[in-house]
Amino acid sequence: MKRQSDQYTAMFGALVGRLILVTVLPLVVMGIANFYLFYSLNRSIVVEQHANFLRHHKESIETFLAGLVGQVSTLANQYSLAELEAGNLERAYQVIRQPAGVITDVGLIGADGRHLKYIGPYDLANRNYRDAEWFARVVADGVYVSDVFLGFRGVPHFVIAVKRTEGGTFWILRATVNTEYFSRLVDATRIGRTGETFIVNSAGLLQTKTRAAGELLAPSGYPDLLPHSGIRVRRIEQGGKSYLYTTTWLESPRWMLIFRQESHDVYGPLRQAVVIGLAMCTLGVLGGAALAAVVAGAQVRYIKRADREKEALTQRLLVAGKTAAVGEMSAGLAHEINNPLATIDTLQTWIRDLGQTSPVTDEDRLEILDSAAKIGEQVYRCKTITQGLLKFARKSDARLEQVDLQVALGEMLTILRTRARVEGVAIEDDLGYVPPMLACPAHLQQIFVNLINNAIDAVGGKPDARVLVRSRFWEDGMAHVEVLDNGCGIPAENLSSIFLPFFTTKAVGKGTGLGLAICYGLARDLGGTITVESTVGEGTAFAVVLPLRPPEPVTTGETGEASS
Amino acid sequence: MTRQVLLVDDEAEFTSILSKVLRRRGFTVRVAGTGEAALEALRESAFAVVVLDVKMPGIDGLHVLAEVSRSLPDTRVILLTGHLAPGDEEQSIAKGAFAYLLKPYPTEQLVGVIEMAQRAAEAAYELGTGAGTPVEPY
Repeated sequence: MKRQSDQYTAMFGALVGRLILVTVLPLVVMGIANFYLFYSLNRSIVVEQHANFLRHHKESIETFLAGLVGQVSTLANQYSLAELEAGNLERAYQVIRQPAGVITDVGLIGADGRHLKYIGPYDLANRNYRDAEWFARVVADGVYVSDVFLGFRGVPHFVIAVKRTEGGTFWILRATVNTEYFSRLVDATRIGRTGETFIVNSAGLLQTKTRAAGELLAPSGYPDLLPHSGIRVRRIEQGGKSYLYTTTWLESPRWMLIFRQESHDVYGPLRQAVVIGLAMCTLGVLGGAALAAVVAGAQVRYIKRADREKEALTQRLLVAGKTAAVGEMSAGLAHEINNPLATIDTLQTWIRDLGQTSPVTDEDRLEILDSAAKIGEQVYRCKTITQGLLKFARKSDARLEQVDLQVALGEMLTILRTRARVEGVAIEDDLGYVPPMLACPAHLQQIFVNLINNAIDAVGGKPDARVLVRSRFWEDGMAHVEVLDNGCGIPAENLSSIFLPFFTTKAVGKGTGLGLAICYGLARDLGGTITVESTVGEGTAFAVVLPLRPPEPVTTGETGEASS
Repeated sequence: MTRQVLLVDDEAEFTSILSKVLRRRGFTVRVAGTGEAALEALRESAFAVVVLDVKMPGIDGLHVLAEVSRSLPDTRVILLTGHLAPGDEEQSIAKGAFAYLLKPYPTEQLVGVIEMAQRAAEAAYELGTGAGTPVEPY
């Protein structure tokens, strides 16, 4: 029983393992595939998003700068120097500045670099810009937007300057753009937690204020300063962090607009999705495992029950087979007991007859004593038969024992001969020595009683009907028992079916068709085989080959339960 | 016609004692152990009654009965068997058996049946009509 429960545990384990593999493997494969698909899709979406954002942003910044330049140019061209000095500059300042404070100040500068007029919060009226870089550039180009520089105040700013030629000389209208305002404009749209937009000049110096990329006029750290057209996206490792950079160059001035976001931040939602996915996967795996355990448990319980039912059925078949065998032999047993009973009755009549004469002669007294002894003999004869029958009937449990096959076959023949005699069949035996073997006596008995009963059936009614039972121990280490008859034989077409359950050629009610099937099953359980050779009209030979010990312990579940 | 009885049975012990009982009661008894021996005895001398076992090695009782019915109309046959095979009784009566008895049949009553059979045989012999209506043993 213990061995069996171990077997079921192993079966349960194997089933659970396979079921988990079946449920979890596709889940994992699908998960990985989904992850990669999702990841690459998400990446391209992010890149696209950033590029679109920067494209639009570039347009608005260019529009803003162009607007400022246009306003300053219009002022310079609309008014003469005298008109501006007379008060139009103040009005223009208010217009351009707007309430938001787009520009911090405006100034009119003469050809000598001196401030002709200055409007703004600082004290710059006496400054001379003759040596400033922007001054040289605006004199040369007519219109100029500078990079951010420190200037006289030591405060970073940039200027928009326009040159106006008037009366053989020229003057310059200059506006200082509010860096705070411009920085806010550039970095107006926040994306994510770490996303920021800023501008660097062609030297890579920051032109707007940033939150994390660095101080104004400090190098931004973005390495690729070669002008490129369109929008470029690249990932760069910086100071132990990974950033996704999206860049584009403005037309004028030659500044590079940069949007930068930490990769960590960019892929945050993706990572979150992956974590959720993994969690769901894990839940799925756990659910699958639980389901597998439930299914496997049910399956194993089902198999266990089927096994138990099969075992019970086999046991019932064995009992049925035994009952049938006893039934088949009952007529012979009755005959074998009725004969001595008849003799006993005649003996008692004889004794009475002898005793009735008076006086009883010595001769008659001897006769009476002799008859009494004969009654004893007949009683002993009956006893042999009834005890043999008991032995046959009692052997029902499937326990393995040391069996002397020679002796066991002899005992079986004693009982079988009673039937054989009635049927007019002679059973001959040639029982050779077989070493003690480990087998179940009840099963051995059932095998051979069935085979010999069949042999008697096969020869019954024939003159010179004979059955021979032979046992030998061969060099192959197996016990060979042959049951031979000179009966009708088995047609070739039936030979392959005779071991099948319910196959019978006997009349309905005469044979169950179970005998040989049971024999075959029992011999196989003992690790042996049964083979048959037959010639129609000449006879049949059944050969049972059994090992001295069964290959593995025969399960004795039924007897174990029966004893409790 | 003497009170001659033929006992046919392969149980030697049984025939030996039964013949002693019958002889003490005035019967002339002969014993045969097989069907073949019985037929031989029947050829040699006339018997009023044959007590016949059915199951015997070689020629069985039913064969002997058939032979007697065919050629010895004045002989009465009592079948006495330890083995009741289905149909045997009907078959035996049909073949002209005087009685079909199952072993162990009480010996006193068996002697009575033998006497009845003998009287029937004697009557048939005197009338010369051969096998008459079988007389029921009771």
